[in-house]
Amino acid sequence: MARAAANWQAERRRAFLIGLLPALVVLAAITVAPAIYLVVTSLTPLNLLYPATALDFSDPLLNYREALADERFVNSVWVQVKLSIATVVLQLLMGLGIALLLNIRSKVLEVARSAFLIPMVLPPIVVAIIWKVLYTPDVSPMHRFLAWIGLPISSLITNPDTALWAIAVAETWEWFPFTMLMVLATLQMIPDEPLEAARIDGASNRQLFWHVMLPYVRPTLVVCALFRLIDSIKAFPLIYVLTNGGPGSVTEVTNYYAFVQAFNFSYWGYASAIATMMVAGVFLLSWLISRLGGAGTGAYE
Amino acid sequence: MKTRWHMTRRDALKTGASALAATGTVLHAPAVIGQAKPLDGVTLNVSCWSAPYPKWLADYIPEFEEQTGARVNYETPAFPVYNQRVDLELSTQGSAYDVLNVTFIYSGRWIGAGWFTPLDEFINDPNSTPPDWDVDDFLAGVRGPLTGKDGQLYGIPWIADVYMAGAARYDLIEQAGLAMPKTFDDVMAVMEAVHGQDGVAGFITENHYGWVWIPYLMGFGGKIFRDPPDDLTLMLAEPEAAEAAEYFARLLRDYSVDGVLSYGYDQALNACLQGQANYITFNQAWLVQLGDPAASKVAKTVNYSVMPAGPKGNFPGVATHGWGIPVGSQNKEAAWEFIKWAMSKEMTRRMLTEKGYGSITRRSVIDTPEFHNKMLINGVDVADIYLETIDFAASGYMKYRTVEVYPQVDRQIDKAIQLVVSGQMPAADALKQAQDNAIADLRRAGVKL
Repeated sequence: MARAAANWQAERRRAFLIGLLPALVVLAAITVAPAIYLVVTSLTPLNLLYPATALDFSDPLLNYREALADERFVNSVWVQVKLSIATVVLQLLMGLGIALLLNIRSKVLEVARSAFLIPMVLPPIVVAIIWKVLYTPDVSPMHRFLAWIGLPISSLITNPDTALWAIAVAETWEWFPFTMLMVLATLQMIPDEPLEAARIDGASNRQLFWHVMLPYVRPTLVVCALFRLIDSIKAFPLIYVLTNGGPGSVTEVTNYYAFVQAFNFSYWGYASAIATMMVAGVFLLSWLISRLGGAGTGAYE
Repeated sequence: MKTRWHMTRRDALKTGASALAATGTVLHAPAVIGQAKPLDGVTLNVSCWSAPYPKWLADYIPEFEEQTGARVNYETPAFPVYNQRVDLELSTQGSAYDVLNVTFIYSGRWIGAGWFTPLDEFINDPNSTPPDWDVDDFLAGVRGPLTGKDGQLYGIPWIADVYMAGAARYDLIEQAGLAMPKTFDDVMAVMEAVHGQDGVAGFITENHYGWVWIPYLMGFGGKIFRDPPDDLTLMLAEPEAAEAAEYFARLLRDYSVDGVLSYGYDQALNACLQGQANYITFNQAWLVQLGDPAASKVAKTVNYSVMPAGPKGNFPGVATHGWGIPVGSQNKEAAWEFIKWAMSKEMTRRMLTEKGYGSITRRSVIDTPEFHNKMLINGVDVADIYLETIDFAASGYMKYRTVEVYPQVDRQIDKAIQLVVSGQMPAADALKQAQDNAIADLRRAGVKL
């Protein structure tokens, strides 16, 4: 009897494995294999002018040593950190704030919710062109309006003090609807009882938010932060169109620097090493944030 | 004996296949019978970066399709996009393109790597190219950068682009009692007099400083490399380079439009066409458009001159780009037919007379009265400026540009000038940094310094 049960379990496991196999093969083909190729390439000085360099493993850590000594790479990491923090914080604040404002049952607000989603569904290059127009003084309605009310400003994307912030604002405009949507869905799932109980106990709106709503929303915010943080590291179209990494290197994020090394100079080995370090960084961040998220949820529970 | 015909499944399949083949033959027959055009059924993929000539050529491509029967997929992306895309495509020796532009700055790299097909086999074959097509008619100076170390030609030049000066609002300069600048000092004097007059910025140019800054660098006595292509020792950290960068940064910082660092070539030209900016040093192929009343608000006030001279002389840029055939193309003969047509004497002359194209590469067309007539803008003979500038470059100072690794240095110069103009670094520090970074880039490319 026991043997029959064990056989059945083994059969079941085999059936599961056979069922999963196609998915695993597809997964390996589209993610694992390119990732392995990326890491392998990062161990070579691959330059497309010299195809033989694809198989040169004589100094596999050369690209990594060079990257750590490369001031532009180190600077790009720092720029990336600043941009990611700025955009994620701004998106969370804006997404949360607007979600709270829209969390009322009203037909007008339902339409408004849909309108707020427009930036997120636009192709990134279109978003970049919209902001290129807004940031180009001679054609920008924003610049003209500010000049008209007596507050003229210089070009934001060519000023080293404002260029990164200009990118962050455009990135926030594009992606705050994601946080807004997630938070709004969470807010609408909060049961009425704790809210009513708190109101009966005399809680103010601020206390309601801090002590009842925010604990519900916090896990969602952590997930949003994780998603947006990972996505912020992929920031490219805005930088490519608006600043080309400049002026100087003030908006040159790591992603863009790797692009320049690969597509302008054909240093694919070096660019792969940079990309590999970025992937490692994203994994590390994901792990850290998921730990923080778990801790946050546990505290509430 | 009576034979009874019995059709098996195999017979049915054979019969069906035969019927299909016969139908196909019959349906296809009219095309075969009517195949009078040599390139019927051929599709050519052609790409060039977005400049006046390739944009205008698009208007004539239906004629080529009509004459030959070929279908042409034609695209003209922006300069940096084109170069990135094509560099990758060529490096894989893919067959996505049949005709591509050999970009001047990449010519050493692309031709040196063997990524383009030598055209001599087509040019020297009388069955492929009639003698009166005459490759020697193309200016020798612009064939040079498109010629490989093996002496073969890899591109047919469609542009001899010379760097010159234009004043969109020359009337403002005249009102200030000044004339077109002949020296760098004159330029500053003009800027001080006219910047902001009538709401017009004094100076503008595009943000590709690895191209537009170099005549200033050389005018102050600076160099990119010590003696290209043999000695690639970088010279960016020399005092002359810092002096040139400070001078140029002053033009952009003090006398240009707001946000000039973000202005690409189309935007810079447009600022002049709209009368928002006045003095510009840039390429002739673009600047002659300022004299076109159909496109320009400053057609009546524009004036031109050769690039002003610096303390050490005059070194205006001369660039060329040419049509080539990537080695991966599967339609090389048809590709050559396209190039031969696009760069024929007739098409060159039509581009001049019908479009006003002024960066002509064929001597026989340059020598025509039409060329000088078309290039006579507000009494200024731009053709003379053009020929004078080509003569300047005969001394060989443009050799730096076709060095295989110059694109890396070019990017570092872009960054350095941005750092100086935006006030992030003094010129000497920015150029020292550019030199250090460029050395690292060049070493990565295997260059021994």
